[in-house]
Amino acid sequence: MKFSRRTFLKASGAAGCSLAAYAALPEKFLLWAEEQGMLKASYVPTFCEICFWKCGAVAKVLNGRVVKLEGNPAHPGARGKLCARGNAGAGLLYDPNRLKTPLIRTGARGEQKYRKATWDEALDLIASKMKHIKSEFGPESVALFTHGTPTDHFLPLLSAYGSPNVGMPSFAQCRGPRDVGLELTFGEGIGSPERVDLTRSKVLVLFGSHLGENMHNSQVQDFADALAMGTKLIVVDPRFSIAAGKAHSWLPIRPATDLALMLAWIHVIIKEQLYDKAYLDAYANGFTELAAAVADCTPEWAAHETDLSAESIVETARLLGHNAPNVCLHPGRHATWYGDDVQRSRAIGILAALLGSWGREGGYFLATRTSLPKPESKPFPEPAKAPLNLGNFPFAGAEGVTQEIRRATISGTPYPIKGWIVTGTNLMKAMPNQKETIEAINKLDLLVVVDVMPTDTAMMADVILPECSYLERHDALAVGKGRSLSISLRQPVVQPLYDSKPGWWIAKQIANRLDLADYFPWQNLEEKIQAQCALWGVNYQELKKVGTITIPNSANPYITAEAPAEFKTGSGKIELYSKELKEKGFDPVPRYTRHPVPRQGEFRLVYGRSPVHTFSRTANNPELHELYPENEVWINSGKAKDLGVINGEYVVLVNQDGVRSNRIKAKVTQRIRTDCVYVVHGFGAASKSLSRAFAKGADDQGMITRYAVDPICGSTGMHVNFVRVEKEGVHA
Amino acid sequence: MPKYAMVVDQRRCVACMACVVACKKENEVPPGQFRTRVVEQVEGEFPKLRMELRSELCNHCDNPPCVYNCPTGASYKSPDGMVLLKKNRCVGCKACVASCPYDARYINEEKGFADKCTFCSQRIAEGKQPACVSTCIGKSRIFGDLEDPASAVSAALRDNHHDVLLASAGTNPRVFYIKKFGKPE
Amino acid sequence: MEITVTGVNALVSPHLHVWDWRVSLYLFLGGLSAGLAVMTSVLHVRKGGALATGERAASTAGLLVPFILSIGMLFIFLDLERKLNVFWFYLTVQPLSPMSWGSWGLLVFYPVSILYALAAFPEERRPQLRLPVLIRLSEWLSAWRLQLAAANFGMGIFIGVYTGVLLSSFVARPLWNSAILPILFLTSALSAGAAFMIMIADQKKVKLFFTKVDIWLILAEMVMLPLFFYGQYTSSGAHRDSIMPFFTLSHDYFWYGLGLLLLVVIFPIAVVLKFLEVREDHGDELTGQELMRMNLSALMVLLGGLIIRLSFVYAGQLSRLS
Repeated sequence: MKFSRRTFLKASGAAGCSLAAYAALPEKFLLWAEEQGMLKASYVPTFCEICFWKCGAVAKVLNGRVVKLEGNPAHPGARGKLCARGNAGAGLLYDPNRLKTPLIRTGARGEQKYRKATWDEALDLIASKMKHIKSEFGPESVALFTHGTPTDHFLPLLSAYGSPNVGMPSFAQCRGPRDVGLELTFGEGIGSPERVDLTRSKVLVLFGSHLGENMHNSQVQDFADALAMGTKLIVVDPRFSIAAGKAHSWLPIRPATDLALMLAWIHVIIKEQLYDKAYLDAYANGFTELAAAVADCTPEWAAHETDLSAESIVETARLLGHNAPNVCLHPGRHATWYGDDVQRSRAIGILAALLGSWGREGGYFLATRTSLPKPESKPFPEPAKAPLNLGNFPFAGAEGVTQEIRRATISGTPYPIKGWIVTGTNLMKAMPNQKETIEAINKLDLLVVVDVMPTDTAMMADVILPECSYLERHDALAVGKGRSLSISLRQPVVQPLYDSKPGWWIAKQIANRLDLADYFPWQNLEEKIQAQCALWGVNYQELKKVGTITIPNSANPYITAEAPAEFKTGSGKIELYSKELKEKGFDPVPRYTRHPVPRQGEFRLVYGRSPVHTFSRTANNPELHELYPENEVWINSGKAKDLGVINGEYVVLVNQDGVRSNRIKAKVTQRIRTDCVYVVHGFGAASKSLSRAFAKGADDQGMITRYAVDPICGSTGMHVNFVRVEKEGVHA
Repeated sequence: MPKYAMVVDQRRCVACMACVVACKKENEVPPGQFRTRVVEQVEGEFPKLRMELRSELCNHCDNPPCVYNCPTGASYKSPDGMVLLKKNRCVGCKACVASCPYDARYINEEKGFADKCTFCSQRIAEGKQPACVSTCIGKSRIFGDLEDPASAVSAALRDNHHDVLLASAGTNPRVFYIKKFGKPE
Repeated sequence: MEITVTGVNALVSPHLHVWDWRVSLYLFLGGLSAGLAVMTSVLHVRKGGALATGERAASTAGLLVPFILSIGMLFIFLDLERKLNVFWFYLTVQPLSPMSWGSWGLLVFYPVSILYALAAFPEERRPQLRLPVLIRLSEWLSAWRLQLAAANFGMGIFIGVYTGVLLSSFVARPLWNSAILPILFLTSALSAGAAFMIMIADQKKVKLFFTKVDIWLILAEMVMLPLFFYGQYTSSGAHRDSIMPFFTLSHDYFWYGLGLLLLVVIFPIAVVLKFLEVREDHGDELTGQELMRMNLSALMVLLGGLIIRLSFVYAGQLSRLS
């Protein structure tokens, strides 16, 4: 994947002469010319794709170049602001390491050797392989791994082709257990953006969530407002996070014991009758069973498990109770920790129910009831074989369980999987146990990766298709469901650079070649969007100008006498005791089980986020790379002293299975417990084509060789690995 | 004549770095250089810790050492209170960089002049807020006119205890901090 | 305390890096030329000009002043990031900027030192000037010899002080921010000028005269240096911290400790040597050994001056208010 300057020029020449003219004018000159009034900037609204929050953004364009991005004031997720990553969006657009042309693998898988190809050649190759798989194994043998907006183009392609096997890491590697737990309790999830009513909370609890470092634009705006208002913050985290630094109570809990704390809180709240009796009588089921189940979960018992003091447990439980119902126990987002994560989410839900905060001010507000009609489309064919992406998990979500597809790919049962299409996700960094991922990939006849950047996963592909960045393409309309309904448009801010193409075009081209053109009955996506706008009564021209149109709320966000609550559970009530779980053989009330603890000399590896990076997606972005170029391993000062590790020195992590990490800087700190180490996820890229990110920092996913599968929904708990910290070069 | 100032409400800051990137993009700051930064300061021993988050920038001092020490008059204090630079006059002697107690200046690697925060004077001229303020996720940065009693900065300074950085340096900064350590009383 | 800063400039972090050996050399050579200017004025005026009679340095020292100054200015010019804008120094007067005074001062010092060198050029050596116009100028200027000597003396003091004020005006850098610094730099400049005079003079009486002068100057420096450190130590925390590089024996501060150690050794030895020279009963002609000792002590003084400039320029950048 090395391009000489000459080939680069050729490639950019192909993108059009006008583009070459822009490129010749340096940005400085453009800015100067603007200052002198020779040029006028144009402002184009779109929405961001650096993370999943999909903030409305307005791009300032000077002579065909994006010089600045700002939040769209009309967008509810942005409110005129963008985070560091959103501000750095043009860094993706102008990253010289971007995928520029279709590439076809020439070396062995993983050798990272490719040749350039034309779109026709690459698409024909994909179509012929897909046809071959369909005829030999059936269409179900092609799976799709996807995340974000590309899903809107490639999932219809997969369905039209005839396969049900989609896997989104956002379920089994992220939000899955949280949503399932809340659905089992309240009949619905918390949504995204989460419907947490932070600005009215009197008490806010964060379990392991480091909001702030976890940069979710509008939610962090609310968080800051809450802090300024004097909301009491309880942070349960083995690490003194930024949020913990703001907290009224920081509970530095022993990792993997959160459920014990929650059960003790339930115990205290019931024992001291701090719960909302009227609310429970009206809306909840199973209080007696719950009370019986937590009878033994005393604060003293929990103190022993959690390494917190019984007093602090009681004190915080009372704080919650006394401020009910205006308390918010944030259910978090990335919830795949220990393999009993649905039950932990259930415990949060039960606490919320006891305190009466679901559907109440300062707790969780209710989504708008406004809905939009579904556009008519040709029905997809019914797959002949049962989907295998749900495994044997009774509560697996429609997003699919990624590692079930991987497992079937390796074993060939219940039927073989021969082709993977990967869009918008870097599987190598998203899924635990990379060895299994590589083993599965080696069984494939076809691996297609559609991405903007040459990610680690792209560098395993047979065919790489260069998608243009979010600033160069149309995508499906984004519909946000919060207090009100918002419709946002993604539209090209500039023309695609190089030989990159929008995702919709790629999907449509593949469909055409598979004789599935009927499913994509439009010339270009804009035509489809326009039709959709017409159906929804939205003025498309207006939308193009403002970026986001909000349909005002039609339902009450809070439960009132006039608008009593409805719960879509089996019983129509909040399930403190879950019959559904009982029927499937699971604990109807969450029960604490003790998890393994690190042995002498080992630390539990926990990971999280930096506010300037999204997954592994932004590690190569010039503006973000310079703020946080490589991750560090946080290690307790006392432990570091014992190991002779000094702050800033490079160390190596070695996990329980002997896997060694890339070298990583030690952050020796008082800010973490002695029994765990912490890293920011998404570093240590293996792709040599990422000139900035390659081999910078350690890849936490490489250390996660073990994972604890939640039997309820199939999600993979990934905070279950133990590492030793070695000085660099000791056992090299 | 307005009297521009900034207030940083540290209680609201979550060290998300949006300001840092927005500033760089707005002002075309070269790679590796910055006009604003975020300081994360933690004191104490586990588990008794406290944290201060502080975003720092040019203080646009009313008594600016960088202006006094500029031999060519390139650095100047504008009537509305901003400390600015006439780029074409700067010889790059670095006296201003050395004289700033806040380390707010740098030599622009691409152009050689002594660069710094301008409160985004170009945006203010257009009636916008400085880029860092406009994008500040926590609304921690507040910008406005001290002469206007109704402005957000005036209100914030009226309602809160506030501080300036290195008050003893006698520089009379125009950037004020509403400070509070991690543990509220 | 754990501090993480995101978004720092290498020029100011972890400490200031704006000036290096170029500025140190400029300060040293500027100081040397200023000291030499003062000493040439003294040479010609002292004892009604008797010292200058038949003295080689009477012609060379004056000419060396602008020459050494030029080399020093070359170094400061090299340090400027936007050299083409240098003319702006002379399109403005900035009353609070020492660098502005300095650039205007240098503009005066240059012609004064040249004119004085010509005015004081001994009559019998004027043919050495070669160019008839210079010879005529020298003849014409000799009438103004005393006035020019006063001006040259004054400008020498001004420039000597200026090299210190340049650093001492920064509230941000506590090591520099001391009123003793300009006086210390001036004394060091004068002492270097005297030492240089000793080296270029060819007559015993001149050498011994400047040796006596230098003894006083070195003694003054030996008083001022401890006073400087004492003053810093008893001032604010930032001032106290600022001198720590000189007194912290560690790997990081090796050169500062060594610099101070050298100063502590050099100045007393130089003074002792000079005392011996002054008290010795010399013959009519100085022997080779005596000459070598004199040059050695003079060199030590120059070296001390250089060490002061280097260590103060660098150590000052380590110091900060916060």
